[in-house]
Amino acid sequence: MTSAVTITRHGGTGGTTAVAARARQVVKAYGSGETRVVALDEVDVDIARGQFTAIMGPSGSGKSTLMHCLAGLDTVTSGQIYLDDTEITGLKDKKLTRLRRDRIGFIFQAFNLLPTLNAIENITLPMDIAGRKPDKQWLGRVVDTVGLSDRLGHRPTQLSGGQQQRVAVARALAARPEIIFGDEPTGNLDSRAGAEVLGFLRRSVDELGQTIVMVTHDPVAASYADRVLYLADGRIVDEMYKPTADTVLDRMKDFDARGRTS
Amino acid sequence: MSVMKTSMRNFFAHKGRMALSAIGVMLSVAFVCGTLVFTDTMGTTFDKLFAATASDVTVSAKDASDTGETQADNGKPPVMPASVLDKVGGAEGVKSAEGTVFSTSVTVVDADKDSLSPTSGAPTIVGNWNANDARTMKIASGNAPRGPDQIMVDADTADKHGLKLGDEIGVITAVGTHKAEVSGTAEFQVTNPGAAIFYLDTATAQKTLVGETGVYTNVNITAAAGFTDAQVKKNIAAELGGAYKVQTAKEVADANAKDVGEFMGVMKYAMLGFAGIAFLVGIFLIINTFSMLVAQRTREIGLMRAIGSSRGQVNRSVLVEALLLGVFGSVLGVGAGVGLAIGLMKLMGATGMNLSTDDLTVAWTTPGVGLLLGVVVTVLAAYVPARRAGKVSPMAALRDSGAPLDVKAGVVRAAIGLLLTGAGGYCLYLASAADKASEGSMWLGGGVVLSLIGFVVIGPLLAGAVVRVLGALVLRIFGPVGRMAERNALRNPRRTGATGAALMIGLALVACLSVVGSSMVASATQQLDKTVGTDFIIQNDRGEPLTPQAVEAAKSARGIERITEYKWTRADFTTPDGETLEKTAITAADPGYATDLATETVAGKLTDAYKPDSMSVHEEFAKDHGIELGSKIAVAFQGGTTAQLTVRAITSSEVVIDQGAMYTAIDTMAKYVPADKMPLDQLLFASAKEGQEAAAYKSLKDALHDYPQYKVRDQTDYKEALKGQIDQLLNMIYGLLALAIIVAVLGVVNTLALSVVERTREIGLMRAIGLSRRQLRRMIRLESVVIALFGALLGLGLGMGWGATAQQLLALEGLNVLDIPWPTITGVFLGSAFVGLFAALVPAFRAGRMNVLNAIATE
Repeated sequence: MTSAVTITRHGGTGGTTAVAARARQVVKAYGSGETRVVALDEVDVDIARGQFTAIMGPSGSGKSTLMHCLAGLDTVTSGQIYLDDTEITGLKDKKLTRLRRDRIGFIFQAFNLLPTLNAIENITLPMDIAGRKPDKQWLGRVVDTVGLSDRLGHRPTQLSGGQQQRVAVARALAARPEIIFGDEPTGNLDSRAGAEVLGFLRRSVDELGQTIVMVTHDPVAASYADRVLYLADGRIVDEMYKPTADTVLDRMKDFDARGRTS
Repeated sequence: MSVMKTSMRNFFAHKGRMALSAIGVMLSVAFVCGTLVFTDTMGTTFDKLFAATASDVTVSAKDASDTGETQADNGKPPVMPASVLDKVGGAEGVKSAEGTVFSTSVTVVDADKDSLSPTSGAPTIVGNWNANDARTMKIASGNAPRGPDQIMVDADTADKHGLKLGDEIGVITAVGTHKAEVSGTAEFQVTNPGAAIFYLDTATAQKTLVGETGVYTNVNITAAAGFTDAQVKKNIAAELGGAYKVQTAKEVADANAKDVGEFMGVMKYAMLGFAGIAFLVGIFLIINTFSMLVAQRTREIGLMRAIGSSRGQVNRSVLVEALLLGVFGSVLGVGAGVGLAIGLMKLMGATGMNLSTDDLTVAWTTPGVGLLLGVVVTVLAAYVPARRAGKVSPMAALRDSGAPLDVKAGVVRAAIGLLLTGAGGYCLYLASAADKASEGSMWLGGGVVLSLIGFVVIGPLLAGAVVRVLGALVLRIFGPVGRMAERNALRNPRRTGATGAALMIGLALVACLSVVGSSMVASATQQLDKTVGTDFIIQNDRGEPLTPQAVEAAKSARGIERITEYKWTRADFTTPDGETLEKTAITAADPGYATDLATETVAGKLTDAYKPDSMSVHEEFAKDHGIELGSKIAVAFQGGTTAQLTVRAITSSEVVIDQGAMYTAIDTMAKYVPADKMPLDQLLFASAKEGQEAAAYKSLKDALHDYPQYKVRDQTDYKEALKGQIDQLLNMIYGLLALAIIVAVLGVVNTLALSVVERTREIGLMRAIGLSRRQLRRMIRLESVVIALFGALLGLGLGMGWGATAQQLLALEGLNVLDIPWPTITGVFLGSAFVGLFAALVPAFRAGRMNVLNAIATE
């Protein structure tokens, strides 16, 4: 299935379009000739503004690659990617860097924070780098939302894994990016800490109108999203709205079974 | 897997990370080997030269030096009558005997009165063209000198000065100036390291150099077949009695070699000293490299321990890596050392000292010493990190990051460091307060060593404080990038401390020497202003005396109020306490000298020392020998008789100019030394008539135009020349210290490069969230600058402390003024910021080129 999956406008922060990011016929291939491996195979996808989108799929399905390409961290072999109305494919490193700095937020699986900076310094780092003053009111709200007010002076090593990820979430939110990308943000956390972080992500969509894209292979994590995209062999093979952990799990079992029989 | 195998794999897996350490080892070893090869080659060159030039047996005057060099105070070589030649010729076993006459107390000029003497410090020799020379030299063009108008030049000198056949040459000696035309050039058959040699025919040489014919400085003897040199020497000695010095070829060559060897020994050990400093700095580089490699490999080592490797095995595996590094770096270093020696020889060639690569001497010990030194130093330096690796617990395999900092060790370290620094400071205090120079210099040495070690030990603690201050002053301007650079520099204080300490060592020495040097200039200048009452000084910069003709010429200058002659000789002193001091230096001058240089006295009036049969001694001498005003000293002048001189003045020892001089009048000396044994003037002082200074200066210069070997200087020129001399010496030392500084800079590069590798994920993260390449590079550069400035600050502080202490100590010897050369100090400080920028070039570039995704994905 390579057809575009389009979504109507759903909430949002008042952007110019209902779509925060688009991929059009995106191909990502490694190597050439005999050894050519296609990670993304003519993928078309629209990420709706103000929604929480989860990307799922087995290992090697291309889900991380898709996210990296959408986020401007990786280059594509062919096709176009747009962030709002800006085509980011073909941008030079300098512009891409600025784009990531000003318009995108990141939450990685681990190692999200600079060990030399304390929590609040880590949170404001993207704005510091840009030479912008953080919006005090917004910052306070973000910090309150993730529940870190009493931990701001702590270094990452003095925080638990869950707290570290919450700082990462706060950092991603603080700069008010158009879109936040999470690469298995709860992959290293126990279920309670993971639930906490996912809860914050959900709230930031609901209360702050944030757009979030998250790669995960955990059905429970995916159940926090508004919509789940399923990737297999570099293609989007299915999607689901208003998922629950059980429906996601069933769908995945389904794929597994199909994978084994095909 | 065996220990050796893991080490080998690690070594080659991280060969890039070892590269800078290997270069560090290589440079230090290269400097050692280069020094050894260079000095050995010089030795070979001179040995060949001396072996080739000495005849089987040589007879020379009794008071000639062992090397046959015949320079004497009166400007004429000691000679023997021609009758000696006949006597020698009659001795058994003598095949042939030839009289020679030569002198090194000469100045040779071309038609424009420009000196043809070598500038490298090699001698200028004028002699008669004799059979012995004909054996070692080949006439390359023209003919040997015949008659008073001809002179032959060695081919190198002719080349250097563009001399052609028929060019006019002037030979200036104590006898007078002799003019001749170039009749030919002669080439050395062995390497001539740089002496300028001129040949006259025998009669002309005798007249020009000694002033009379029928005399020789030496007799060269060729032994007949079947006689050894020693036998012939014995026979000749029997013939001549004890009146002359008889030496075999070997004895002459040995004496010459010893002479040159002494000079080369000083040079060799000075250069090895600087190599030692480079090694010391290299130790920091190696310690840092292995510490960082061990830290980066903590999990891996933990795993090895978890699956059953013993501490010893882990420890050994690191040491084996160090061994490989040491061997690799040293082998390269030995090779580079030979290259360095050849480069040095070429460089010396440019300054007029010819050394041929044919004589290149690599003793078997040289590579041995280089390898041994390189390997031992590397392994010893790696021992501390290796022990730390052995202490890694198996649990480390399971933990995410490296071992936490050992707080207790920090406290112990601080205590030891402060103790050492305190002890060092106390030693320096004792040195500055010492009454005796010898005792003080001991304290100074101890203080320098202790404070250096102390600073190295507390370096990591100081790093925290100093980097914060530097951060507040410098980095804040650069905003968040500056702040991150500061945090990075503070992240591992031990690493920053060791990296900075390496730079500190070199810069401390630079600062110390610059303080001492400029204090010397300042003190001398102050004293010149205070005590010198004359306008001009006339001297030869190589310390050769003034010929009587030059003195006459100076006296003929217009506008001169007073000319003071200044002679210098040695005499055996017998002091009232019954002690006899052989060959003690004594200065004889005109009475005007008391005005020309108003040296302070502690007793008596200096002018009284110039009364008949009077003298002055200096304070320390008086103290040591219980001398008071009115004491009598028996002074047996060299070449003269014994005088009973009365001490009429005791001069202060706290002077820079003429330190330790003891004065008497020339008239007094002349009573006891025959006219032909009177030494020539060493210096001349001229005072202009009131208001005619400029005219007198010009007139003096004109009068001495024909004698380019003498320089006329007024006080300003003299101060400048003095400063120039000290600056030249300092620059040479700075040049040699540059090696240590280069190794330290390598250390900064190394630390940054390894830090960048260590922080790959962080860099990826920062790039992902929007740090631009330019900002990233700037961050690394700023970290580097901060480390460099930290090292500079410590080094300059320590060095200025040492320098100031040395000045306090040397104040006993008249170094009264402490002058801190702020331009130099600030220059070095700012320069080290540039060094930091430079060191960060490659690491910053590589960090900027990192692929963001790969960096994030790195474990």
